[in-house]
Amino acid sequence: MPDTPAIAVHDLRKLYGDKAAVDSLNLVVPRGCFFGFLGPNGAGKSTTIRMLTGLVPPSSGSIELLGMRLPDRELEIQQRIGLVPDESLLFDRLTGAEFLEFVGRMYGLARPTAVERAQSLLDLFELREKRKLIAEYSKGMRKRLAMAASLIHHPDLFLMDEPFEGVDAVGARLMKDILLDQVRRGATIFLTSHVLEVVERLCDRVAIIDKGKIVREGSMDELRGGTESLEDVFVRLVGAGREFHELEWLK
Amino acid sequence: MIRAILRAQWLSMRIFRLASGRRGALFSVIVAVLWYGFWTFLAAVAEELTAARGLRMQIETWLPAGLLGVFAYWQLAPLASATMGASLDLRKLLVYPVPRRSLFLVEILLRITTCAELLLLLTGAAIGLLRNPAFGGWRGLARVPLAVVLFAAFNLMLAAGLRNLIERLLSRKGIREAIALLLMLVGVLPRLLMVTGFAGRRIEHALPTAANPFWPWGAAAHCMLGLSTGVRPVAAAAVLAGWTAAAYLFGRWQFMRGLRFDFQAAQATVASAKSRPFAERLYRLPSLVLPDPLSAMVEKELRSLVRTPRFRLVFVMGFSFGLVVWLPMILRGRVTHSAVSGNFLAVVSLYALFLLAQVTYGNSFGFDGSAAQLYFLAPVAISRALAAKNIAAAIFIFLEIAAVAAACTLLRLGISSGQIAEAFLVTAIAALYLLGIGNLSSVNYPRHMNAQRVSAGGGSGRAQGVLFLLYPVALLPVFLAYLARYAFDNQAVFYAVLACAAALGVAIYWMAMESAVSAARNRRESILAELSRGEGPMVAE
Repeated sequence: MPDTPAIAVHDLRKLYGDKAAVDSLNLVVPRGCFFGFLGPNGAGKSTTIRMLTGLVPPSSGSIELLGMRLPDRELEIQQRIGLVPDESLLFDRLTGAEFLEFVGRMYGLARPTAVERAQSLLDLFELREKRKLIAEYSKGMRKRLAMAASLIHHPDLFLMDEPFEGVDAVGARLMKDILLDQVRRGATIFLTSHVLEVVERLCDRVAIIDKGKIVREGSMDELRGGTESLEDVFVRLVGAGREFHELEWLK
Repeated sequence: MIRAILRAQWLSMRIFRLASGRRGALFSVIVAVLWYGFWTFLAAVAEELTAARGLRMQIETWLPAGLLGVFAYWQLAPLASATMGASLDLRKLLVYPVPRRSLFLVEILLRITTCAELLLLLTGAAIGLLRNPAFGGWRGLARVPLAVVLFAAFNLMLAAGLRNLIERLLSRKGIREAIALLLMLVGVLPRLLMVTGFAGRRIEHALPTAANPFWPWGAAAHCMLGLSTGVRPVAAAAVLAGWTAAAYLFGRWQFMRGLRFDFQAAQATVASAKSRPFAERLYRLPSLVLPDPLSAMVEKELRSLVRTPRFRLVFVMGFSFGLVVWLPMILRGRVTHSAVSGNFLAVVSLYALFLLAQVTYGNSFGFDGSAAQLYFLAPVAISRALAAKNIAAAIFIFLEIAAVAAACTLLRLGISSGQIAEAFLVTAIAALYLLGIGNLSSVNYPRHMNAQRVSAGGGSGRAQGVLFLLYPVALLPVFLAYLARYAFDNQAVFYAVLACAAALGVAIYWMAMESAVSAARNRRESILAELSRGEGPMVAE
C-alpha cells in the first residue's frame, strides 16, 4: 500500500459571503481506513465532501486524494473515486441496468465488462426489475443503485454522504458488509451518517465537525474514553444548550 | 388562514426570483414593466374608444365581440400557461387542516394574478363607457361595474375549472401528448382560419350571434351599455349572474376532483414492462461510429429524451405545429409565389430547430437535474458531455426534418429530393450557430426541468430570452445565402455562401464550446445549485 494518505486536507476553508461553511479544516485519513465524519445538520459535512469531489472549489487550503493534488490531477483522481452523494446522481429516465452500464463506460470500462458488472450488481442489490425506470424507484432503491454505481469501477476511495438513508435493514446490512469487504481489500471509506450506532460499529476513526470546524478527531476508543457511547460524546460536543423545557406550551 | 397561504405564496415567488440573482430579478422587472405597460396602453385605447360619443353604433356592434375576445383569451390563458409556466399546486396544502372551500377561494384569488392584464383592459373599457353620455354616463355607476365584476368572476371560475380539467387530462400517460397537441392545434385554429380567409368572410355574420344577450359576453355587453333592445339590462345582469353561478359550480367541481386525483397513479409507467429490441438497436447505433465515453453519453441522451414526455410533445409539435403554422402560406403560395412557399421545407425545419431548443440544446442539463453532477464527477471532460448532448440534439433535429419531409410528401406538397437535401444542409449549418449559443446558455442559465410536466416551459426566462434574441442573428448567414441566390439567380453562389456560412459556423461553435467549458469549470457550483433547485411550496414551475 502506498505511503501517502488517502485523504490529506490542509487548512481548508469555504466561505459563502462572510460565513464560513468550512473553517480551517485539517484532516488526514490513512489508506485502508473506515473513517466516520460526523456533525449536526449544517455543520459542513456535505460541503466538505463536495470539495473533496471537486464539485465545489474551496476558498482556500489544499486537498490531496490518493497522493494526488486536487484540482491539478482531477481526472486521475475522479477515476479512482466512488461516490454516494446526498443528492441524487441518478438519471431518472434510464433503467437501473442502463444507468449502471452508462456509469461503467463513463469510468472507462469496455461495454461488455460494464454490462456484465451491471448485471452482477443489480442481482447483488436485488434491483432485478429490468424495465423499471429509475424515476419509479423508491428512496431505498435509489440509494442501493447509487451504491452499486459507486462500486462498478472498483475504486480505491469511497466518499459517502448518508449512504444508508432510507434503506431497509436487509439492504443496509448488505451495504455494510460490502463496505467492510472493500476496506479489507485496502480501499478507504469516508462516510457521513447521522446513525451513530452504524458509525460506531463500522468506523476505525471518527472526526466530529461543528460550525465548520473539527471539534474532535481520533480512533473510536480514544473518542469514547472507555465509558461513554459515541452518542454521548457527540451530544456533549455539539448538542448542548437545547432547553425545550423552557417552552411552557409544549408541556 | 387564507392570508397566511397567500403570504406563503408571495414569499415563495419572491425567494424564487431573488435566487436567480439581481440581474435575473432586474430582467423579470423589465419584462413585467413592458408586458403590463403594453396592456395599460391597450386599456387606455379601449377607454378612449368607448368614451367616444360619435362611435355609439360601432361600440354597440363591437363591444360584445371584444368581450368574446376577452373571454377567449382568458380561457386560452390556462392553455398558454400549460405550455409556458406558472401553475399552482394547492394539493401541497392538503396536509394542513384547511377547509376545501377555502382552498378553492385561494385558487381563485391566486388566479387573479395570472390575468391582471384582462382586468386592466376591462377597467379601461368600463371607465370609457362611464364617461360616454351616449350610454347614460355616470348614471351607469352601478350597472357597468356590476357587469364587469360578474364577467370577470365568470371567466375566473371557468378558467380555474378548465385549468384543473386540462391538468388531469395531461397527466394521463399515453394520451397526454395527443391531448396537448390537440389543445395546441385548437389554439392555432383561429389563425389558420384567418390566414386562409375563411374567418374573414364569416366574422360579419358572426357578430350578431356574439351580441346575443343569452351568451355571457353578450349579456355583459348589454348590461354595460344599458341597452333597452332585446332584453333589459337587469335581465342581462341576471343572465350573466346565472352563467357566473354555473362557472362557480363547474370550477369548484373540477377543483375538488383535481384535489382528489391521484397524479402518481395516472403517471405510472406502462412502457416499463415492455422490452423493445428494435429501439434498443437504434440506441446502440452511435456506438458503431463513436468511441466511449462519447457514445455512452449519446446513447444515454437518446434513451432519456425519448422517454421524456415533455420532449416528445415538443418533438411532435416541431413538425405538426410547424406544418399547421406555415401551411396556409404555402397554400397561398401556390397561387402567388413567395419566399416561404418556395422554401417551405427549410422554413419548417428551421422552425423545428428553434422549437427543440427549449428541451434539448438550449438547456442541455435541464432534464438531468441534480444528476448532472455526474458529468463533473466522472473522469470525462465537460466538453465531451456537451458534445454528446449536441450530437443527440442533432440526431433529433435530423429526425424532425425527415418527419417534416415525410409529412410534406404525404400531403402531396410537391417537395423535391433537392429541396429535402437543401433543408438538411441549411438546418445543419444553422444548427452549428444555435448549438454554440445553446451550449453557452446551458452553462450560464441552467434550470431544472420537470420531465413529467408536458405543460411547463423550457430553460430559464433569460436563457429563452437570449435564444429568442440571438435566433435571427444565428439564421443571418443562411438568410444571406438565400438572398444571394435570389439576387444572382445562381445555385453556385448559393452554395458558395452556404460553404462560407458553414466555415464560420464551425469556428463560432468551437469558440462557443471553449467559452462554455470555461464557464462550466468556473460556475459548476452554481450550475449544480440551479439544477438541484426544487419546486416551491405552492408554485410548481
